[in-house]
Amino acid sequence: MKFWGILLLLPGLLWAQPEFYGYFESEASTMQLGTNNYIFGFNKFRLDVEVRPNDHVQIGANINIQHYWGKTTWNLLDFIPDMGYLPGDEINIGLPDTLLLDNIYMKLSFPLFDFTLGRQQISPGVGYAWNPTDIFNSKSLLDPSYEQTGVEALRLDIPLGNRSSFIAIVQPEAELNQSTQQYILKSGLGSFDFSLTGSLQERVDYDVHILGDMNIKTRKMAGGSVIGELLGWGLWGEFSTNDLKMRSPFAYFDYTSLYSFEPIPDQSFTEYVIGADHTFDNSLYFLAEYLHNGFGTAEKEALSLTDYFAALGGASHSLMQDYAFFYAMHPTFDYVTLSAIAFANFNDNSGAFSPIVAWNVFEDTNLSLQGSVYWGEDDTEFGLQDWGLILNVTSSF
Amino acid sequence: MKTKLFFFLLFGTSLVFPQAPTGSEIIDRVTNIMSPENSYSKGTQTIITSSGKERVFEFESWAAEKGESSLTRYTKPAAIRGQAFLMLNNADDIWSYFPRTKRVRKLASHAKKQKMQGSDFTYEDMGGGDVFQTKFKSTLLGEETRDGELVWKVEMIGISNQDPPYPKIILWARQSDYYPVALDYYNEIDFNTKSLVMSDIQVIEDYPTAMTMVMTDNKERSNTTMRTLEITYTWKPPKSFFSERNLKK
Repeated sequence: MKFWGILLLLPGLLWAQPEFYGYFESEASTMQLGTNNYIFGFNKFRLDVEVRPNDHVQIGANINIQHYWGKTTWNLLDFIPDMGYLPGDEINIGLPDTLLLDNIYMKLSFPLFDFTLGRQQISPGVGYAWNPTDIFNSKSLLDPSYEQTGVEALRLDIPLGNRSSFIAIVQPEAELNQSTQQYILKSGLGSFDFSLTGSLQERVDYDVHILGDMNIKTRKMAGGSVIGELLGWGLWGEFSTNDLKMRSPFAYFDYTSLYSFEPIPDQSFTEYVIGADHTFDNSLYFLAEYLHNGFGTAEKEALSLTDYFAALGGASHSLMQDYAFFYAMHPTFDYVTLSAIAFANFNDNSGAFSPIVAWNVFEDTNLSLQGSVYWGEDDTEFGLQDWGLILNVTSSF
Repeated sequence: MKTKLFFFLLFGTSLVFPQAPTGSEIIDRVTNIMSPENSYSKGTQTIITSSGKERVFEFESWAAEKGESSLTRYTKPAAIRGQAFLMLNNADDIWSYFPRTKRVRKLASHAKKQKMQGSDFTYEDMGGGDVFQTKFKSTLLGEETRDGELVWKVEMIGISNQDPPYPKIILWARQSDYYPVALDYYNEIDFNTKSLVMSDIQVIEDYPTAMTMVMTDNKERSNTTMRTLEITYTWKPPKSFFSERNLKK
């Protein structure tokens, strides 16, 4: 049935003059982790198609074909300090080759609102490295601006004048009370834009313990953001306050230690980012951000495997509480940009420095070499890695 | 002899340029002729670096309220296809849209000083409106002949408390219609950093229009050519055209 549907739809799509575009990305990496050196990488082909049958309808989709090579099975415990109470020696995660329908959506534009249905990229917030109001995505600190995967959602955008809008996003699940909802009110005043955000989400946190159980939590989030300019510097802030209520029948005990069977209480936490950027007269661009995440753990000694899984799995925007992120970029030579990223965890005194050389080799082809060196004790978030190197070639079409 | 010299210095300008307009009057006329109410255009931007490497970009651009509001969207090359910039209040407020992340972000005004896609034009150079009138004090330096046409030569000195884009600009405008044909941009140490030359000036829907603009960076020895492929001044912006909603389209 679906096959015939596509056959019927295809002539219409072709008649509407679809645009095809995308890119091929090839990446080779090496990483020194303690005494082990790993080599790994991937080849990724992304094909986008976009059709606009008329001024009111936009249909878009993209597929990602990704093939991994080198080390394709990772032991998550390699990225977690030895805590002495692990149930086994390995928690292996494989990276199988994928053929992923990443986004597939239809956007209907009415005079008073836009309605977007389907799997679509949703990126709320104004922060660069972290977004406390983003309940859909997590970012890599080595490349925060990388595209994010699509979210199955219904999105309603209602413009309220030129600078204001109301956005409602629903990520449907099998039952309404399991569906994620986010509401955003955006506006602007003078040289500042601001937003207010409210969210309701049922999320699953995988608490690691001897039974391999999980916790289902209801998350209520209220937050907002502001971005603008003061004294020639770009300034922004983004915050959220969150209430997590346990819903799982298995959620009443903390199994993170074999010897502790304390009931897990409901949690409340706040998370905020403040940031600033500036372009100097010599074209040097500089950005700095500070994150406080109350969901993270303040003391290194108090970290549990559950905390690591929350951070590695994207359930939390960070492992611990206080971080800084810096980015500097300068277009130094013809089509060659030198940049550097640095980030630090203030709670365990670990961090990383990552210089990048990016070369626009041909009109649509970019080549970059990114190094990274890490500091901190071996049992810290970033200090357990030593160094890394990433060679990336991306060619767009 | 001394008396003759005194009178020449005192009245020389008016003797040489009878009924010559003042620098401010010329800049008023330049601003007026460069600021049609609305426009829509398609163009290319060709960057040639000092080593001879070439990059070509294509874009669409919409402007309204005499350039106070504008929206530019790149259509080529593929790597930046869909990137768009919305500028309001004469580029004092800028929003960027990056299709790869589907993110709209408000940029601080320092972003105006960034090069447009690595070209020799900054976002500020592309801004319209009354910047020449409000952020500079203009003085007529004289008249010259350029490409067989009589032109006014005007010195524009940035008013320091108005945050001018450049400390000094020398502008040449045709006497026939006050359309500018060249601009030299100077930095704080009075070095001529960039030069803009406008050519192939055609009258389109009653407005003189430079179909080719070449900006040369005199320090880096690179240049960028903006070619207008298509332009109309009869386009009328639909309601709420210059908005975040339209930026993402």
